[in-house]
Amino acid sequence: MAKSSAPHKSLITLFVIITAIAVLLGFFLYKILYSQDVQAHKNVYELVAWSMVFVLLLIAISGTISVLTVTKQIRKLKDEASRFANGDLSHKIEMSGTDEVGQLAFAFNQMSDRLRASYQRIALEKQWDEILLENMGEGMIALDKKGQIGLINGNAVTMLNLKGKEVVGQLVYKAFALHDANGKKPLSAHDRPEMRVLHNAKPQSNVFEFWIEGQKPLMLHINASPVVIDGKTAGAIVILRDVTHEREVDRMKTEFISLASHQLRTPLSAIKWYTEMLLAGDAGKLKKEQQEFAQNIYDSSERMIELVSSLLNISRIESGRIIIDPRPTDLKQLVDGIVNDLKAKTEEKQQSLIISVHKELPKINLDARLIGQVFLNLLTNAIKYTPQGGEISVFVSRKDDQIVAQVSDNGYGIPKQEQGKVFQKFFRAENAVKVETDGTGLGLYLIKSIVESSGGKIWFESAEGKGTTFWFSIPMSGMKAKTGEVTLDELK
Amino acid sequence: MAKATTTVMVVEDEALLLQAATKKLEHEGIKVLSCPSGEAALKYVDNLDTAPDAIWLDYYLKDMNGLAFMQAIKTNPKWAEIPVIVVSNSASPDKVHNMLALGVNKYILKAQYRLDEIITILREIIDDARADKDE
Repeated sequence: MAKSSAPHKSLITLFVIITAIAVLLGFFLYKILYSQDVQAHKNVYELVAWSMVFVLLLIAISGTISVLTVTKQIRKLKDEASRFANGDLSHKIEMSGTDEVGQLAFAFNQMSDRLRASYQRIALEKQWDEILLENMGEGMIALDKKGQIGLINGNAVTMLNLKGKEVVGQLVYKAFALHDANGKKPLSAHDRPEMRVLHNAKPQSNVFEFWIEGQKPLMLHINASPVVIDGKTAGAIVILRDVTHEREVDRMKTEFISLASHQLRTPLSAIKWYTEMLLAGDAGKLKKEQQEFAQNIYDSSERMIELVSSLLNISRIESGRIIIDPRPTDLKQLVDGIVNDLKAKTEEKQQSLIISVHKELPKINLDARLIGQVFLNLLTNAIKYTPQGGEISVFVSRKDDQIVAQVSDNGYGIPKQEQGKVFQKFFRAENAVKVETDGTGLGLYLIKSIVESSGGKIWFESAEGKGTTFWFSIPMSGMKAKTGEVTLDELK
Repeated sequence: MAKATTTVMVVEDEALLLQAATKKLEHEGIKVLSCPSGEAALKYVDNLDTAPDAIWLDYYLKDMNGLAFMQAIKTNPKWAEIPVIVVSNSASPDKVHNMLALGVNKYILKAQYRLDEIITILREIIDDARADKDE
């Protein structure tokens, strides 16, 4: 019998005692009944007495049997449970009966089923993780807080030309070298993105060169994210993506667009100049209708020229290669300059143009070319989409840490159902097209890109037939410089 | 002492554009030296007695680019001081910067300027240069 049989042992002891009492009782009763004194009612006393003894014995015997049965079942249950505890979860306890022991067995079986399902789930998820790690397109390295490699996937090993997963345990900056765009020397540990992220817990994302002997260097995009546990940096996850091909394709695309726009501009220039000469009468005075036709050709070719410039600009912005060259800029001067350039147009339409730039605005670090473009587009739109005699105003002021510029007009407005689309490429509202056939639909898309890459926002309010107001904000801290390769072509 | 006629050398390899520029300049009473290639222009540079008053230069020529041409004339004392405007259909900041550094007076995008506008710019530049010389 096992150690834990104490409870039922005491029960059996109890029944043994009851049996003893029965026997003693029997003995005394015998003595009393068969003495001289109670001869008269001897039969009745006999019956009662011996019945009591019999009942007691019955209790003792049945009690003992019950206890022994239950004990046996419990022992069986205990043996089965031990099997579970030792890890064999596939076994099912067979116990019939709906009593407590049977229910207990059932509960054990349920627990074991759940545990088994849990283990299977965990094993599956672990497999998913491993397969995920090995099959994801990128390389992955997991670092501990010192920068030692804890985990590295197959892709990273291949990308970095390493010998298998031997590097596990090595410091990441010793395992392989990275160079930045201008460096002949490899990056020092301090400058490595993986070490930076461990040091300041700020995700690092940048492109580095990885040199391989006898080959062109790879361009690797490295994304390092901190792993923070209980507020402390416990390690980092580094994702490596080979963007060499991407960059090459991008470069080719830009070259193609450059070439295409150059090629397109050549015949467009020819059309422009010859039509100009026709209209000027250089080939002889034109009749009225000839003048009209020639003017139409001129206008259409102007539209095409503008379109090509806009497309080029957009392609440059989208490829992220625009140079941002911020310099301290006097906003009043900038706005005055643009307004001056547009004077002819406002005078032609007899529109009034009010400028109000806050007196104490400091010079802001802006790329005048880019922000000038924003003002130019907004003002050109205001002029275009406001009828004769309309009013246009420009306000530039400061709100907390932002410069907010506002361009308002009391022109045709933008219909409500089309307001959601105005920033889309090539979109022109119906009422705009009716009023002014000239327009690429790219202006707002372009300036939204400029404003947003300057860290600002652009928004508007408009009511059809009443007018439109556009606002855009630029942080007081100005635009961040960005080395790039191209600038926007100035759109006249 | 002002010259009787203004002379401009136009270097442009697209035939139609060279023709249009030449026609318009002549229409405005300006004498034109038409050069359909860098080579033709350099021949003038080597052989002409009097240099033109200004040069209208396209950047991408079939046989050389603007940089090479500029370097060639800068080494010629007779031609080194002549005002040059680059009239091209492509302009990257590098290109513009390099050309301006080599002494180009203005770099403009062809498709965005009318002929009369370019002529106005030419006249301004020529007048400025003459004023400088007379000082």
